Amino acid sequence: MNPNAHPPSDSATPTAAQRFARGFELAYTGLMRALEPPFAAIQKRIGIKGMAYVFVAPNMIIFSVFVALPMILNIWYALTGSNRLMMEERPFVGLDNFSALLDCKDYLDVNSCKQDRFWRAVHNSVLFVALQVTAMVALSLVTALILNGKLRARGFFRAVFFFPVLLSPVVVALIWKWILQRDGLLNALLMAGGGERVAFLHDASWSFFWTVFVSVWAHMGFYALILLAGLQAIPADLYEAAEMDGTPKWRVFWRITVPLLLPTLLVVVILSLIRAVQAFDEIYVLTGGGPGTATQFIVQYIYETAFANQVHLLGLAAAASLLVAVVLMVLTVLQLRISYHGKTS
Amino acid sequence: MFKQLKTITGGLLALCMPVTAMLATSQTAKAADPTEVRIMWYSDGIEGDVMRDLLDRFEKQNPDIKVTLDRVPYKTVVEQLPALLDSGQGPDLARVTDLGGLSRHYLDLRPHLKNAKYFDDNFASSLPWFRPVNGAKDGVYGVMTQLTLTLPLVNATLFQQAGIPMPGPKATWDDWAKASKAVADKVKAPYPIAFDRSGHRVSSLVLDMGGKFVDGDKPALIDDGFKAATKMLVDWHNNGTMSKALWGSVGGTTYRGATEEFANAQVVFYMSGNWQFTQFAKTVAKNFEWQAVPNPCGPGNCSGMPGGAGLVPIKTTKNPQAVARVVEYFASEPVYEEFHARTLFLPAHLGIAKKGINYQTDDANVKKSLAIAVDQVAQTSPVAFRLQGYEHNRILFNATISRVNQAISGEMSLDDAYTRIQADIVEGLAAKGIKLQ
Amino acid sequence: MASLTLDTITKSFGQVEILHGINLDIADGEFVVFVGPSGCGKSTLLRVIAGLELATSGTIAIDSEDVTHHSAAARGLAMVFQSYALYPHMSVYDNLAFGLENMRMPKDQIDQRVQTAATLLQIDKLLQRKPGQLSGGQRQRVAIGRAITRNPRIFLFDEPLSNLDAELRVQMRIELSKLHKDLKATMIYVTHDQVEAMTMADKIVVLRDGRIEQIGQPLDLYNHPANRFVAGFIGSPRMNFISARVTHCTAANVSVTAGGMQDTTLPLDGTGVRQGDTLSLGIRPEHLELDAAGDWTLTVDVVEQLGGTSFIHGTLPSGEALSIAVNGQTGVTHGQPIRIRPKPGMVHLFSTTEGEKALPPSPHRL
Repeated sequence: MNPNAHPPSDSATPTAAQRFARGFELAYTGLMRALEPPFAAIQKRIGIKGMAYVFVAPNMIIFSVFVALPMILNIWYALTGSNRLMMEERPFVGLDNFSALLDCKDYLDVNSCKQDRFWRAVHNSVLFVALQVTAMVALSLVTALILNGKLRARGFFRAVFFFPVLLSPVVVALIWKWILQRDGLLNALLMAGGGERVAFLHDASWSFFWTVFVSVWAHMGFYALILLAGLQAIPADLYEAAEMDGTPKWRVFWRITVPLLLPTLLVVVILSLIRAVQAFDEIYVLTGGGPGTATQFIVQYIYETAFANQVHLLGLAAAASLLVAVVLMVLTVLQLRISYHGKTS
Repeated sequence: MFKQLKTITGGLLALCMPVTAMLATSQTAKAADPTEVRIMWYSDGIEGDVMRDLLDRFEKQNPDIKVTLDRVPYKTVVEQLPALLDSGQGPDLARVTDLGGLSRHYLDLRPHLKNAKYFDDNFASSLPWFRPVNGAKDGVYGVMTQLTLTLPLVNATLFQQAGIPMPGPKATWDDWAKASKAVADKVKAPYPIAFDRSGHRVSSLVLDMGGKFVDGDKPALIDDGFKAATKMLVDWHNNGTMSKALWGSVGGTTYRGATEEFANAQVVFYMSGNWQFTQFAKTVAKNFEWQAVPNPCGPGNCSGMPGGAGLVPIKTTKNPQAVARVVEYFASEPVYEEFHARTLFLPAHLGIAKKGINYQTDDANVKKSLAIAVDQVAQTSPVAFRLQGYEHNRILFNATISRVNQAISGEMSLDDAYTRIQADIVEGLAAKGIKLQ
Repeated sequence: MASLTLDTITKSFGQVEILHGINLDIADGEFVVFVGPSGCGKSTLLRVIAGLELATSGTIAIDSEDVTHHSAAARGLAMVFQSYALYPHMSVYDNLAFGLENMRMPKDQIDQRVQTAATLLQIDKLLQRKPGQLSGGQRQRVAIGRAITRNPRIFLFDEPLSNLDAELRVQMRIELSKLHKDLKATMIYVTHDQVEAMTMADKIVVLRDGRIEQIGQPLDLYNHPANRFVAGFIGSPRMNFISARVTHCTAANVSVTAGGMQDTTLPLDGTGVRQGDTLSLGIRPEHLELDAAGDWTLTVDVVEQLGGTSFIHGTLPSGEALSIAVNGQTGVTHGQPIRIRPKPGMVHLFSTTEGEKALPPSPHRL
């Protein structure tokens, strides 16, 4: 026999992958055969259309237990009082929790509110959302424009900007805490350069700035990626037509790029808006809401009111979360409207 | 579309997390050996290991009982245990610090004890702390695993380096503040005075400044002593005696210690408590000389705040007899003494305290500090004990720490903070079904 | 309006050279069509002229002015894109006005230009619509209108009709020709469709693999293709090619035998070939006729009857395929052997060597 002859691969000893594939196939067909009789019997009874419900049922059950039911429970918590967890021990208080939350002489002056912490959190969140979303959209747009251009090692830079998105929020916060704390990297650099130590996380304004900065840093890659996709969806020949038309660069940007990117831009605005309202994890680890309540946002208020404080004011927290849900719902409807419009036009 | 739905419901779902946690733990709770006793236990230092060691011995002597020590972080005890207790899914025993706040879930062990009088005789001062308001007046609702006392820890080496003498035993808070600031300035330490960020620690300053905390069974927090103490804290933060970098690095009622900073010799005077001794024996070792000093004096007292952790039997246990046997074993004099000798904790056992414990340590700093701590227990003010026994003291502590912090960070005036503290107390008590006035 | 001169233009993308030294003169007012199969470089050449791509070497001159390094805008040209490239978010009016606004032209002047162009193209009723609300033909007009308003020195068209259906394409073809006559503008038009080239061009430039194969008026290319590629590319249906053998050659004429026919003598310069050489004989289907006395016997495979014209596809005894176009309808049927002959003077001979050049006409021809 010719020692150099290669035997056909399927008569040789199967590789691990082949054995796995074969095993998988056997298991799969076995399972399917086993499942067929009961499902066939069900289908005979309820018809082929009814089978849709059978297949959707597991998902719907999970959805109702873990999503729908908690939502209903949350409403019930919002309408009941006391620090008890069990429903039967909680007295019904109607809208008391809501009126306590909304009890303010002047909504712009937190000190005039009964729940000043809630309103501080609301004020902080509003400011945070405004600054963070503006910075997020502007920076991710600039990043996307740069990454969309003719750039050396473009793939590398795209990966670099997207990388923070892959990090766990806690990791993000710990990295930045390590940089910003009193004896952190940034202060070490400042002092090595002959500068003064700065209380980056203990001064209210600085610490607010860094919450915005870190959350933008962590999520910008995601929005830049969406915008990049939007930019690449703009036909290149429009830019060539504009070039032939002798259009200045800034005018190309404002008259062609921006209008055509607008649907994507709006999606980015709404998505980042919703996320900014929900901001919690990074900031909780980074500043803990401090100093004082300077960086305490609405979700942290809900968390602390319900779980962290010694008296668990579950009703108040549930009511606050419902108010936030309403705001988010409005924003979501807005986003759906916009993306629907984008599709039809 | 589903994604957006998820984002909305995500927030709502967060509120229902304890429910799922309950479902998860309920399975472990009913592992069916007829005489299993489960203890939820947190540790600051080595006490979990010591306890396990002692329990192994118990199991050998009592083969019919198996004791499972579920070791959890302190945060679990604070945030999840209450929910478990509310839902009837608690362990058989738990090591807790909020002795009063959870008392309605405790079981009175008296009917199950072989020798209840032993408890009456030796734990007289701490037994009332466990008793629920409507409970048996002589009930044995738990036993302390450690008595703690707030007291300052001082970096003696820094004083020596600065060439400034340490204030003496009856020195005032002002004396200590000035001396610490002077030392810190001289040796360039960033934190002249550090306090644990805790209402309990603040209360010991309030106590010394003459605060009374409660009036009968009602809270009466805002008095001259309280105002003097809180103003002192604000002033210290403003004049650099305390650094905003510590309390300012978190918000709300979040605890923030300064153990790392103290171990790094950045703190001159650290207001904490005796439970730190074992930790510093390890982290400071022989790097510098440190010691506990007697609590500074104010117009009211020269006292620390007592506190501590207790082992409490939970009402819902199916094996009260077995639980009682575990508690009796732990509270028995030789075991109790060994536990404290090894953990370097202060004993709540009056007999042992009187006799004195031969602590198992070679660390000179710890030895010196333990002597001071034992001496300080004897000098603890009755006001402090009364506050410790007040069922809702946590509500006062939390309102104090969160609001005073807002005043320190400049978000509100101290006067506004007082108003808010009062409102927080009213709100917290109302949630527990107690109406003030 | 302007003339254009390309001098040895090359264009490379990285290592790949797409255009290999293009020389071309386009006179003022000419309608020039670049035609060639896809990938021949015709679009690239147009983009180099437009300034959207810069030439790798060579010079481009417009009206004798060297514009090789000028930006697209500075060259003063207008381009109609295959996809139209209308700004989808702007109204038709704004699409037409956009380039003028860039020049900071006064509003009333812009309006006048837009209205003129719109009237000319019969899109004046559509000015307020968005491109998305227009039909393909209307979009095409807007794209042309956008070029017109700018009053460019040269119009560039990049396969502008390829997205239209056949009927509209014929119509637009005629309109574009008319427009060219009205505007008297220089226009360069790129297409892969030789019918468009034949019908519209003053001058056709046939490109293959980045080289110009032939430049000439449409009928010149039809009648006197310079090589076998041009012969095959121009004219529809395609020219037949059959293998031929030289039986006799002089400077005055060449005799060949092909497909089993008797020797045919053609008035071509035979100095380049020798007796016994193999050549390629080209004859257009419309230049073959049925004749019972014809030399070639064809076995009919398929007959296509279009009514006005009929195509007969068959096989020669040599096994080579041949197509004939006959006027009117035919009674010829499948499998039938027929005899045919080429119309006199309509036979082309191509060398089979590199370049497949046509044999030049005899210098002695009268």
